[in-house]
Amino acid sequence: MKNKRYAIVLDTKKCLNCKACTVACKFENFVPVGDDTYRIWVTELPLQGKFPHLHQEYQTSQCQHCENAPCEKVCPTKATFTTPEGVVLVDYKKCILCKACMTACPYDARFVSEHHESVEKCTFCMHRVSEGREPACVETCPVRVREFGDLNDPNSKVSRLLSSRPYLQLKPEKNTRPRLFYVL
Amino acid sequence: MSTRIENLRSLIRINRDVPTIPFIAAGAVLLVLGLIGVARVIFEGHEAVYGATRQVPWGLLIATYAYFVITSTGLAFIGGLGHAFGFHQYARLSKRIVLMAFIVLLAGFTQIGMELGHPFRLMYLFLISPNFSAPIVWMGIFYGIELLILGLELLVVFNPNGTNHKLAAVLGFLALLVGVMATSNLGFVFGSLTARPFFHGIYFPTFLVVSGIAGGASLLLVIYNIVYKFNVPDQFKDAMSSLGKLMGLCIGIMIFLSFWKIISSLYTEPKEAYDSVIVLLSGPLYANFWIGEVLMALVLPLALLIASKAKEIRIMGLAGLTFLIGMFFTRYDFIVAGQMPPMRAGNEGSGVEAINGLMHYVPSSGEWMIFALGLGLFLFLYFLSERFLILDADAH
Repeated sequence: MKNKRYAIVLDTKKCLNCKACTVACKFENFVPVGDDTYRIWVTELPLQGKFPHLHQEYQTSQCQHCENAPCEKVCPTKATFTTPEGVVLVDYKKCILCKACMTACPYDARFVSEHHESVEKCTFCMHRVSEGREPACVETCPVRVREFGDLNDPNSKVSRLLSSRPYLQLKPEKNTRPRLFYVL
Repeated sequence: MSTRIENLRSLIRINRDVPTIPFIAAGAVLLVLGLIGVARVIFEGHEAVYGATRQVPWGLLIATYAYFVITSTGLAFIGGLGHAFGFHQYARLSKRIVLMAFIVLLAGFTQIGMELGHPFRLMYLFLISPNFSAPIVWMGIFYGIELLILGLELLVVFNPNGTNHKLAAVLGFLALLVGVMATSNLGFVFGSLTARPFFHGIYFPTFLVVSGIAGGASLLLVIYNIVYKFNVPDQFKDAMSSLGKLMGLCIGIMIFLSFWKIISSLYTEPKEAYDSVIVLLSGPLYANFWIGEVLMALVLPLALLIASKAKEIRIMGLAGLTFLIGMFFTRYDFIVAGQMPPMRAGNEGSGVEAINGLMHYVPSSGEWMIFALGLGLFLFLYFLSERFLILDADAH
C-alpha cells in the first residue's frame, strides 16, 4: 500500500480575511503571542480595479512542506525532517537554534519559539491528523478556503480539485516543490 | 622533574619592553563587559537580548564569528606558507602566527557559542545526528580539526627542546589546507542559500578565503608594530615586506571580486540581489559600505601599501589597522544586506514589517557586548602571552 502524501489545496478567492485560521492555529498549537510568532498568516493583496469597482483578494499561507525542502538540507543536526507522508517537521529536542533553516526558507515560514526553545513552524497539525481529524486551520475556516488530504488517493478532495482546476504554487523558480497548491 | 621545569622556564620571560599592559587592561575591561553580556543572555534569553528577528535571523554575531575565525585561518595560511612552502621569511614569525591563530579562533568560538541557542546540544548532536548535507556540519568539522591542528602546532613551536621542523611543516601544511576548507565552507553556509539570491553562489566562499589571508597579514603587521613600538628590527623586515605585498595582492583580488559581484547584482536588476546591492550602494548601509568597506578595507590600505613601497613598516602597520577595521564591515554588510529583501511582501496581515520594501536590523547592546567578549578575549590572552612568553622564533 502506498504511503499517504499529504497536501493542502487553497481556494483563496473564498477567503473573507476573518483570520479564524490564524487564531485556531495559535490555540491548537500553543503558539506564543508576539509579532514574529505565527505559523500561518493571511496577507491582504493590493486593491484591484478603480473606485467604486474595487476588489481585494487575500493570500493565506504557511509552511509549504516542500518535497525539496531547503530547511531540511541545511539543518546540521537533522532536527528538521520529512515524514513518510511528506510532512516537514521539527524535532524540538534536536534543534540547536542556529537559525540556518530560517535563512534557507524562501517562504519565511519559521520562527524562534521560546516556548519550545527551538525553531517552530506549521506541522499540518499531525497530532490531529493521526486521530483522523483535519488540521485546525482547515476545520475552522467558515468558507473552506483550505482542503487537506492525500494526493495518492485519487478520490480525495485535494486530488479532485487539482485534477479539475488549474493551480499555481508559490516561488516555483526555487524548485522546492511545495505541497501547498493554490487553485485559480 | 627539575629538568622539565627548567625547560618550561626557558620558554618564559617577563617582557617589560613590550607595551602589553594597556592592551591587557583593555582586554580585561572588554572581557568584563562581555561577561555581563553573557549573564544577560543566560538570565533574559537570546530573543530578549539580541536584535535578530524572524526576517533577519543572522546578525552581528554571525558577522563577528566570521570576522574572527577567518582571520585565524588567514594567519594559519601564512604560517603554512612559512612552514611548508618555503616562504622562510615567515618562519621567524611562526610562534606569534600559531599563537595568534589559536587565540583568534577561540575568540571566534565565543561568538558562535553565544549566537547558538543550544551550543552544548550541538556538541553531542554533531556526533550522534550529523546531517552531512548541511554546510554548517562541514564548517564545524573543519574548524574543529583546525583548532586541533593549531593546538598541536602550539606544542611543536613551543617545545623547550627546540622545534621539530619536519613536523611543523606537516602541521603547517595541514593548517593551511584545513583552514581554506573551513573558510570556504563557512562561505558556502551562505552560498548554498537559494532563498537569498545575494548570498547564493561562489562569491562569498572565495571572498572569505582571500580577505582572510589579507586579515591575517594585517594583524601580523599591526601586532609587530605594537610589540616593537613602531620600530620593527631588521631581522623581520623581509617578512613584513612580504606580508605587505601579500596583503596588497589580496586586496586587489577583493576589489576584483567585489566589483563583479556588484555589477552582476545590478545588471538587469535581478530582484532580491539588486535590492541587496542597492542597500549597500545607496540604502541603509551606504555609510558602512562606502566608508567602512570601500575606503577602510580597500582604497586606503591599498594606497598606504603602495605609498610604503612594501618597505615602510609603520605605514604598512597603519594599512593593516585600517584593513582590520574595514574587514569588519565587509562581513557585517554582506550578511545583513543579503537578508534585507523580505521573503514575503510586507502587505497588511503578512506579519512582515518592511520599510520601503526592505527589512531592517540594528545590533542590540547585548550583541555588541558579546563582540566585546571576543575582542577582549583576544587582547587579554594574546598580550598576556606577549608579556610572559618568548615569542621570537628562530629561522629554519
